[in-house]
This record gives sequence, structure tokens and C-alpha cells, in this order.
Amino acid sequence: MITVKTISQSFIKGLPLIFLYFLSLNSFSITSSIPHFEVFSFNLQIIIIYFYALKFPEYLGFGHVFIIGILKDVLIGTPLGSTAIRYLVLCVVATYIRNVTLRSKLTTEWFMFIPALFFANLVYFTIINNFSNLAFYYEELLRITFFTFLFFPIFYPLLNSHRKLYKVED
Amino acid sequence: MAEQRDDFIIALRYALLKKGTQQKFSLFFLIIFSIIIITLDKLSFSYIQKTRSVLNDLIYQVAIVTSSPEKFTKYVIKLTYDHYAVYKENEELKEEIEVLRNEKIQNEYLLTENTILKEALQLAGSKSLEQDVSIIAKVIIDQQSPYLKSFLLNKGSKDGVMKGMTVFSKKYLIGTIIESNFLTSRVLLINDLNSRIPVIIENTSVNAILTGLGKDNSLDLQYLPEQYQLATGRNIYTSGKDGVLAAGIPVGETYTDKSQQVKIRSLADLNQALFVNITNGQLRR
Repeated sequence: MITVKTISQSFIKGLPLIFLYFLSLNSFSITSSIPHFEVFSFNLQIIIIYFYALKFPEYLGFGHVFIIGILKDVLIGTPLGSTAIRYLVLCVVATYIRNVTLRSKLTTEWFMFIPALFFANLVYFTIINNFSNLAFYYEELLRITFFTFLFFPIFYPLLNSHRKLYKVED
Repeated sequence: MAEQRDDFIIALRYALLKKGTQQKFSLFFLIIFSIIIITLDKLSFSYIQKTRSVLNDLIYQVAIVTSSPEKFTKYVIKLTYDHYAVYKENEELKEEIEVLRNEKIQNEYLLTENTILKEALQLAGSKSLEQDVSIIAKVIIDQQSPYLKSFLLNKGSKDGVMKGMTVFSKKYLIGTIIESNFLTSRVLLINDLNSRIPVIIENTSVNAILTGLGKDNSLDLQYLPEQYQLATGRNIYTSGKDGVLAAGIPVGETYTDKSQQVKIRSLADLNQALFVNITNGQLRR
């Protein structure tokens, strides 16, 4: 039976996915909009996907991750499927880390974000280099990747609180 | 050692093939599916291109709606920033007016002299930079990524926009069309790393290739003659040597930056372009 409670539960559970779809359909980034703050640009989508694939994969369907990647490809003009594969590789590394880790800790998960970012970007750059004529802004990419890694602990408690919110509703 | 390797393979196989709770697809299946899509996109069959064109149009239309909060945020931030910068800007504009007044007087003299000389050479009345087609389009999404500096426009093949056409903002060249869908199109901006425009420097016979640096309006000149010193305050025009762009279209200018180095910037403000003109860039003499 559909009640207000079940609807609110579904909404709260689907929040990360809704937010990911929203992010993929526009280039919204608070830091890039403020003059002189563009330098702190980071990829929030990668943080969210890594976090949920690592800790609560039941909230994040991999099929959705694939579609989000395709949407991003169409919007930014990269070869179709390249961002999708980047996010999926990130999910593979996150799932592997989850399987081999007994006790999860913020520091462990944060530092394991480095190999996850490395493999995801490696696959992505290889595809773009071989399947398109696009040139890279290496400096910008390195900066974005660095700040994505750096800001992970800031978003960690925020994303964890979503889980708590869902538990309370449950 | 062998046990460790086995553990690694088991964990990796589990990560790739195991479908978790509420997961409809395994990661392995989705990665293979992505590879198939990338390959099909690269092969560019006609039906794939048509499908992609439809997909592009659909997603762009949705993105227009979803990007409205972003546009509003940017507008508010810019408004606040402009408000505080208005005094300084006013002082600068006053100085600029003085300079322009002096230049105007000089230009009037040069114009008169030029007309007299043209008449003498029987060249009066010849037209240049007249475009065959001019389509006005609106920038719907300004999606700047680390891979491609581009705009999405609200005119597509339905309105006669074709791949390779040139795009102007306030009479200055800002880029070329690289993707034309039925309802929308994508412009590769001149500040993109992939942009290459043959140009000529004002008051010289020096030819070069203008490329983007990916940073705001900054540009760069490649293949300049050895030992050539770039002077400040020079305009840069298209040379027309590529056979696509007409010669004499203003693109950029040289200026001296804070560190007293001569740099090149676009004449059009690429971050502020809202309405643009699309032309086929050919001369009609």
C-alpha cells in the first residue's frame, strides 16, 4: 500500500541518485561560479559514486551509474560511453576494496580513493586518446582530481548522515 | 604468494560478476556494453550518427531546464561582483574614452586618405567580409569541461546550421560548428586546445596559427618566424589560408599583462556570449 511514509522513504533512499542525475545534466559547481575560486573545482559526482559503491551499493544501481555517464558524455562532447566506463571502473575498484576490507575507516577509504581515481582516470584518458582527437588540459585535470581526493573527507560525514536519515525513517 | 594471487582474483571476479542487492546488471556486463557503445560511436555508421543526433537533442532539451538554477546562481554572483567593480570600471572607461577620442580623429583622417587612394586604384565599392548566410542563435548551455571548451546553440540542421560553419559574437570570431543535430548544435570555441586558425598580425605580413589555451579568453600563436618579437596592441585577423574562413575577420589582440609580457586574448568575451551569428564564413565579392 502506498502511504506518505513509503513515498518519503523512497525519496530519501533515491536522493543520491536524483542528485547524481541533476549533476550530470548541468555543470553546476559552486566553486567554479565564484570569481577567483575556480581553482577549487572538484568532481562531486565521483565522490558520491565512490562513496555509495563502497559503503552502500544498495542505494546506487550500477545501471543508473552507466546512464549518468552517458548523459555526461553527451553534454560535454566526449566519446559516448567513455565517462560511463570511467564511473564503472570506479565502482569496480570500490567494490573490490569493500570485498577485501574487514573494518571500514575513513582514513582507509580516503587513501583507497587514490587507486580508484587512478584506474578510473587511466581508463578514461586511454579511451579519449584512442577514440577521439580531443586534447587534454592536463594541469586542470590534475587539479580537479587532487581537489576531488582532498574534499572526500568533507563530504564523508554529509553522505553518512543521509544513511542515518534513512535508518531513522526505516 | 599463489594464495594471495588467488585471493585477488576471487575478490576481483566477485566485484565484476556478482550482482548485489537491488542490482539488475553486473559491472562486467555494463563495462562490456560501454565498450560496444564506444566502438560503435567511433565507427560512425549513418544510423549511429542519426541515433546520437536524436539523443543529443533530447538530452540538451532536458539540460536546458535542469541548468536553470545554475544559470541563476551564476547571474546572482556576477551581479554582486559587477556591483562592487563598477567604480573601478568607470575610471578605466573614462581613460579609454580619451584614448578612443584621439583614435577617432586619427581614423577619420585615415578613412579619407583611404577613400582617395581607393578611387585612385579604382577599387572603390568592392565589398569584403559579406557573408552568404547569417543565422542568429542563442547559447543554451555553456558547458566548459577540461576536455572541450564549447557552447551549445539552439539552432541545428533544421535552421541550416552545418558542421564547419563559423560563429561570431559582436562581429568577432568565437568558434566553428563541430556538431550539428536537428534542433541544436555545438560550437568549438577559439580558446579550446583543439582550435587551429590561420591568422595574420596587423601591420605585418607575419602568418601564424592561432590556438587556444583553455583559460578564459587567452590564446596563443604558433609557427611564428624565429626571433620574431610580438608587439603589444596589435589586432589579429584571419588570413583565409585554410580556404574555410574568410580573410580579415578580427579574432584577437595582443596586450601586455601584469608581468610585462606580451600575451594574446580574444576580442570577443567568450564567457559572456549569449547571442551569436552563424555564417558560412565565405566571401562574396
